[in-house]
Amino acid sequence: MTTASRTAPKPIGMRLLSNSRGLTRRSPTFAAGLIIVGFFAFLSFFASWVAPFNPIQVFPDSVLTAPGGQFFLGTDGNGMDVFSRVIHGSRFAFSIAIPSVVLMIAIGVPLGLITGYRGGMLDEILLRILDVMRSFPAIILALAVVAATGQTLLNVIIVLGLVEAPIFARVVRAEVLTLRSSGFVESAVAAGNSTRRVIFVHIMPNAISGATAQIALRMAWAVRASATLAFLGIGIQAPAPEWGAMIRQGAEFMISGQWWIALFPGIALVCIVLGFNLLGDGLHDLLDPKRKPTGK
Amino acid sequence: MNEQLLQVDDLVKHFPGQTSGETIHAVNGVSLSLRPGETMGLVGESGSGKTTIGRCIVRLLRPSTGKILFKGRDISQLSEKEIRPLRGKVQIVFQDPYRALNPRMRVGSLINEMLRLHTSLDAAGRRKRTLEIAEQVRLNADLLSRFPNELSGGQLQRVCIARALAPEPELIVLDEPTSSLDLSVRAGILDLLRDLQQATGVAMLFISHDLETLNLVCDHLVVLYLGSVMESGPADKVFSNPGHPYTQALLSAQLPADPEKARHRHILEGEVPGPVNLPSGCPFQPRCPLAIDECGTAMPDRIQVGENHHAACIRIRDGSNMLRFE
Amino acid sequence: MSLLKVDNLHTHFVTRDLKDELRVAKALNGVSFALEQGEILGLVGETGAGKSLTAMSIMGLLSPPARVVEGSVRFKETELINLPVGDLDQLRGQEITMIVQSPVSSLDPLKRIGRQLIRMQQVHRAITTAEARKRAIEMLRIVGIPNPERRIRAWPHELSGGMAQRVLIAMALINEPSLIIADEPTTGLDVTVQAQILDLLLDLVSERSMSAIVITHDLGIVAHYCGRMAVMFAGRIVEEGPTRDVFKNPSHPYTQALISSAPSHAGSRQRASAAGPPPNLYNLPEGCHYRDRCPSARDICATQPHPVMVSAGHQAACHFVAETSSQEPVGS
Repeated sequence: MTTASRTAPKPIGMRLLSNSRGLTRRSPTFAAGLIIVGFFAFLSFFASWVAPFNPIQVFPDSVLTAPGGQFFLGTDGNGMDVFSRVIHGSRFAFSIAIPSVVLMIAIGVPLGLITGYRGGMLDEILLRILDVMRSFPAIILALAVVAATGQTLLNVIIVLGLVEAPIFARVVRAEVLTLRSSGFVESAVAAGNSTRRVIFVHIMPNAISGATAQIALRMAWAVRASATLAFLGIGIQAPAPEWGAMIRQGAEFMISGQWWIALFPGIALVCIVLGFNLLGDGLHDLLDPKRKPTGK
Repeated sequence: MNEQLLQVDDLVKHFPGQTSGETIHAVNGVSLSLRPGETMGLVGESGSGKTTIGRCIVRLLRPSTGKILFKGRDISQLSEKEIRPLRGKVQIVFQDPYRALNPRMRVGSLINEMLRLHTSLDAAGRRKRTLEIAEQVRLNADLLSRFPNELSGGQLQRVCIARALAPEPELIVLDEPTSSLDLSVRAGILDLLRDLQQATGVAMLFISHDLETLNLVCDHLVVLYLGSVMESGPADKVFSNPGHPYTQALLSAQLPADPEKARHRHILEGEVPGPVNLPSGCPFQPRCPLAIDECGTAMPDRIQVGENHHAACIRIRDGSNMLRFE
Repeated sequence: MSLLKVDNLHTHFVTRDLKDELRVAKALNGVSFALEQGEILGLVGETGAGKSLTAMSIMGLLSPPARVVEGSVRFKETELINLPVGDLDQLRGQEITMIVQSPVSSLDPLKRIGRQLIRMQQVHRAITTAEARKRAIEMLRIVGIPNPERRIRAWPHELSGGMAQRVLIAMALINEPSLIIADEPTTGLDVTVQAQILDLLLDLVSERSMSAIVITHDLGIVAHYCGRMAVMFAGRIVEEGPTRDVFKNPSHPYTQALISSAPSHAGSRQRASAAGPPPNLYNLPEGCHYRDRCPSARDICATQPHPVMVSAGHQAACHFVAETSSQEPVGS
């Protein structure tokens, strides 16, 4: 009887390297996304060390300076260094994206699991609610709620989390519906598992691949959404170095020729959203059900 | 101690059909009983209802009407919550082991889970017991850390059998346990089941379309057609002296793996009709070469043809229930 | 001259894995057999032994990554391997036809069965539609479909499993081929229907003096319908001969184990186990492919065994044929 031979475990560094080579081959999209998002993550961690100036430090003598020299990307209307502000702005991206997506998952996934498995009236009600929410453009909804409830970071996070939670519920519910009739769920029931165990121990690990792919995409959305809100004057406001707010301010100066104030945060925004999108797409490739589940 | 372990009384199970107004009459009044430690085979072709009966007995389905008495207690209409504590006593092994197991759980954990649900062993005790059970089903202990897709069909079915054994049940329903396995592997699984049955004294209900397999492992046999019992009795008697024309035809259609064994063939005409529009009276009557007008009027009674051996055919009374063979 | 002569057929699957390394699965490793006119040969073996692949290789139905890498298939006088597609198309459906396990996937769901039967004829010869239709109705009658004039207008999805298989048989026989290959023709059908289909198919074959290869994993079918049989394992034929002889005197350890593990032999004392891990086609053992599972394997098994004659027309590819075949025949 041939049994798999056990080789000694490779040192961590080697494993990461060979794993990453495999990862890159399997999904270059994922790798690209990871590099971009990783870069911004690095920036947000080490902002204070990388940025040459304090982002809200005012240099009244250097208001509206063009890029170059001391101020690498120029200064804005208040005399604050654009470069430092762009770097620090990445913190907002993560501090909004991550908590709001966590909220989306915390609400959406259990909702999808339970209604998908249970079906019946509960499922019908959820579907109607999801339909209603889908008929509103999410940003408008978020706009209205934040404007009404107060323009704090926390509110932005909560509202974004609630507004997009239905996507996770929908995606998970769809997978649960397919799995519900599959043999191993029947087995789990016949084995005597409580409904809670059937849902969370057996179904959930098999139903969340779609949700996992959504994570990065929702992060991209959250970043864009909060930037949009800030641009529209809702949520984070100046002097906080949030990119949306910076673009808002910079827009006014475009006409008078100070193009750098809005452009650089805009580029940063585009890049990080691109990065998250690539990450999400790549993750979807990797989690393709045609690949074997972890076992080797 | 005459108490039946399992007694099924007049079980009926209907499903709503594809289009409204249509009903699928899967099971139409089936009765059977099983004593502790007995092995019984349910044999039938497609549409016979045998799989549905198995699922009703382990309460993965709720019967439409009828009683299922497990150790005297009627479980047919209990709620899921009320059934759960009993599940350790009545287990099921499915046909396709790959579909029956969570692909993301390791095989050892899958067995362990059964112990966690139904015994009060601690983690160390469960580990030990898992290894014991693996040995009992002749499964290499190395395989316990693997995932289902890494095992062969035969190995995986042993895992399913191990899971069924873990809670020390009193009855195991086996739904075509070897049908999706390679020929060379089937014998091993059947031998294992026979040995386990003798070692543990658990009662087994075998569901299969293959009479040869059932003859090896079952004391008692029940022949089903379109949701009704055609014949039931001790396995060797049903084989040697089948009373019902359908049983006779079924037996003659078997192909033993021995060219020397002469075949007495009676080839039936037609195919099994769908369970939606049932024939009136005896369900077998449209295909039965011995059918007379009376057969279409009412479901025939069970008539005794031997000790504990009954067949539902009105032609037994006048002795004209035997098919002619080539 | 044999009707069909397969000689040393090697079929490989060539792929690249995730690390971009070449991986070769050796699915057929020197399959050789001959089929005479009027013979019915049963090809038996477990899943992965290469039975269906042999049929596909003969019919030229392989698609990448599968390829015939060596060997020859002579049908009458024509070499089929590397035959130009045009010539092969003329032979297939006309001289050599095939029926497969799941008839539903072989019938075009968008065409009524009458059209498919008519087309089957018109592709291969000049025949008017009216004439073809008449023959189609007659063929449906012959295969036992009631009301053929009406049924000819049926859609494939309206047919039950048994009916569909009969239609496939009609399609396979309507051009009066010399050879029909039936790949698991009754798997999945009800037992009572299996009996009907097998009787029908093989009565027709012998009536018309056709030859047939029946591929199956069911020894019972081979025992009662095939005059000769060949047992396959890991892409090689390990034993072949007249069915009666092979069952009476199985000479290869795998054949012995296979026969003794059939339920009808349960009573026999010697119940060798045929079970074991399926052979790894990417990494077959040197010499005899069965050695990892064989209870009698010895050092010499590292060299490939050549077929050894057991009796007239009966040979087995094992180094120890003389010894093993003198053991008690299984089942006594």
